[in-house]
Amino acid sequence: MTRSSISVVFAGSGGAGAMTAGAIFLQAAARSGYYGMMTQLFGAQVRGGEAAALVQLSIGPIEAQPDCYDLFVALDWGKIESFAPEIPLSEKSIVYHAKDGGAIAPSIAKTKARMIEIEMTDPQMTALERALRGKRVNIFAAGFVGTLVGLSEKSLKEALAASLGRKKADVVAGNEKALAAGIAAAKRQTENFLLAEANPGKRWLITGNQAIALGTLRGGVRFVACYPITPATDLVEWLSPVLQKLGGKLVLGEDELASINMVLGASFGGTPAMTVTSGPGLSLMIETIGLAVAAEVPAVLIDVMRGGPSTGIPSKMEQSDINLAVYGGHGDAPRIVIAPMSVADCICTGEWAVYIAEAHQTPVIVLSDQLLGQANEVIELTSKRPAAATRRTDGGDPKTFKRYAIGPDPVTPMPRPGTPGFGWVGDGLTHNEICVPVSSASVHAAQMKKRADKIARFEPGELWGECWGNGDTAIVAFGSSLAPAREAARRLTAAGRPVRVVGLRVISPAPIAQLKKALAGTKRVVVLEQNLGAQLYHYLLGLKALPADAESIARTGPLPFRPAEIAAHLGHDHVNSS
Amino acid sequence: MEAFSIVGRPPHEIAIVSGIGCSSRLPAYTKCYGFHGVHGRALPFSVGLKMVRPDLEVVAVGGDGDGYSIGGNHFMHACRRNIDMLYLVMDNRVYGMTKGQPSPTTEGDWDSQIAPGGTGLPSFNPLAVGLAAGANFVARGYVGDPIGLTNLIVEGIQFKGFAFLEVLSPCAIFRPEEIGWKARAHSRKKPPSADRATAIADALNEDELGLGVFFRREQAIDVKREKSTLTLADIERSFEI
Repeated sequence: MTRSSISVVFAGSGGAGAMTAGAIFLQAAARSGYYGMMTQLFGAQVRGGEAAALVQLSIGPIEAQPDCYDLFVALDWGKIESFAPEIPLSEKSIVYHAKDGGAIAPSIAKTKARMIEIEMTDPQMTALERALRGKRVNIFAAGFVGTLVGLSEKSLKEALAASLGRKKADVVAGNEKALAAGIAAAKRQTENFLLAEANPGKRWLITGNQAIALGTLRGGVRFVACYPITPATDLVEWLSPVLQKLGGKLVLGEDELASINMVLGASFGGTPAMTVTSGPGLSLMIETIGLAVAAEVPAVLIDVMRGGPSTGIPSKMEQSDINLAVYGGHGDAPRIVIAPMSVADCICTGEWAVYIAEAHQTPVIVLSDQLLGQANEVIELTSKRPAAATRRTDGGDPKTFKRYAIGPDPVTPMPRPGTPGFGWVGDGLTHNEICVPVSSASVHAAQMKKRADKIARFEPGELWGECWGNGDTAIVAFGSSLAPAREAARRLTAAGRPVRVVGLRVISPAPIAQLKKALAGTKRVVVLEQNLGAQLYHYLLGLKALPADAESIARTGPLPFRPAEIAAHLGHDHVNSS
Repeated sequence: MEAFSIVGRPPHEIAIVSGIGCSSRLPAYTKCYGFHGVHGRALPFSVGLKMVRPDLEVVAVGGDGDGYSIGGNHFMHACRRNIDMLYLVMDNRVYGMTKGQPSPTTEGDWDSQIAPGGTGLPSFNPLAVGLAAGANFVARGYVGDPIGLTNLIVEGIQFKGFAFLEVLSPCAIFRPEEIGWKARAHSRKKPPSADRATAIADALNEDELGLGVFFRREQAIDVKREKSTLTLADIERSFEI
């Protein structure tokens, strides 16, 4: 009998290579035509500490993490206990652990999962070889589990070769040997978890962070200034060489204050520009977001959210920067805030962010998060792209040109510096139509209204969000909470209690009319989000975008919502995974 | 403006960028392109602008509070980055806009309402700090010497790389004693040095009113990057399974 999906955890202490094991397993499955997703779980240290790769494979698209993992592979027990309680296992799970891996983590033992000890190291390896080249238990594990689920030897070897790149011949040979040992050991097992036949197609394997970066490149971003911050750094590390080979520029700012101001400078110069950060960095950039609003300069800010406040949990997710993104800063500074709805949607949302920023001369904040950003996923290709838009630079007649003219269209041309006759000065001070700083009440009111109108008239069209299903109970969510919400809705609907899910791509300005239409005919509305203060719920309720009796499911990160948890919140905790 | 006309750049090819303070109002007084940003961030804005628009003449202006206090970190790193621009700091050794508080260049015993009897802190030596941070053109001018100042501005604009020009700019309202600089400011006796250590020693040892170039050394700007060698389609193919 075959199965339609499997979920596997590879865990180990720093240096054991759990992430590499997961990546090879995922890559081999993707090459074999399966869908897959890998997310990352870290212990206290971001690097060099214990880590787990959480991999799911399926014959159909996957987005949400499972309620429980089927297999758990302990490359060693090390400090796995420090995050083991965060990995759901049950008595149906099987734990394969390395023979000389140390004492079993108590939290794992408590789950009553079946424990199977495996010799993962080549017994013929000398002590010196082990010390010099590592035990390669991770490569063994990739071959072992890959074979248990029915992946071909060829696909596993290809995935290993892709992972090794141009390593030296003896390193390659040693790893190939470990892979072969894993494959052989799997064939000796009595259990197997064979996946049903795959359905190959033209797909990509991409992380959310890469997908957002790619989207913004499609949108025309050619200048990036940023300061390293977890979990956004890998986005920039992927982007930097690529951007420079495209002829763009990437600067490592001395801090986030510098980075966002460099972005404004480049944008003022006429180049679509972006910064990439996480909560603490966004906090530092807030003053300049107000400046970008006041001076009407386009800018894209990617916030890969992590646990807050303050330094919080750098390596894990939370959806707690909504208030900061929507309201952050002094004065009335309306801006546009959007959020990708899945790893695949990171491409579309990233591209769209650039067009919106350019066309509306405004900062656009894109709220991603650690889970979406660092998830590596097999995605279906779509040709759907947002309509391109650019900034207005034609100032008309220089004699009558007014950079901040008050007129029927609140978006006014911003000629590119270097164009004769149009010299204008961007200013954070209240300024009149011709850029002169003034403090008069009427000018202040007129310019404030110009900028507010600009954002209020932003028309997202069908990109405002999406509605799935038509039950009379609705879950409203955004970002990485959407996938578990949709899975919960699918299960409840299958059990005869239809639930619809309304996903918001546009957070601010709130798409009130679209949301009301999507919620038409509902009897119960629940807003789902991952922060303690119910930021999205209060925001939408305050705008009267929700029925007055709407409910909230809000809890802190960093653990992602599980579909069963959401179903339980809705009062149907007996509905289990299909 | 006279300096720009000597350099031969029309106003539309010039961008003047400032932060906050009395001196930062300057962009609004010209026909050039300009940007009046937030306090202390004129330099990073200018760096971003110049990186994408090497064809423009970029001049960042500000005061001692903007450049040496709130923007001190950017000052150091702009010196390191060596982007081709002029940074002109009008130093009056006081926060004038907020009516007379001590700045990093204020003498430690200068009495004020906020710091009675003085801050007791040693004052910041902008030239020595700029030199230590890697600036390749470092000079001091004085608004009371308009011809000499214009020459320094022209030299700074024409210098290939980051040019730092500290300009003594008395504040007649809150530091009336600075009007006395007129009698004491003088040309430096030494020619510009091309040796950084010597220039730093000069900046530390000479009196504070010596005008002229302290250090000047041309250095190749910008690491050469490979030309556009990829297309978006190439990048997208790398994700194919």
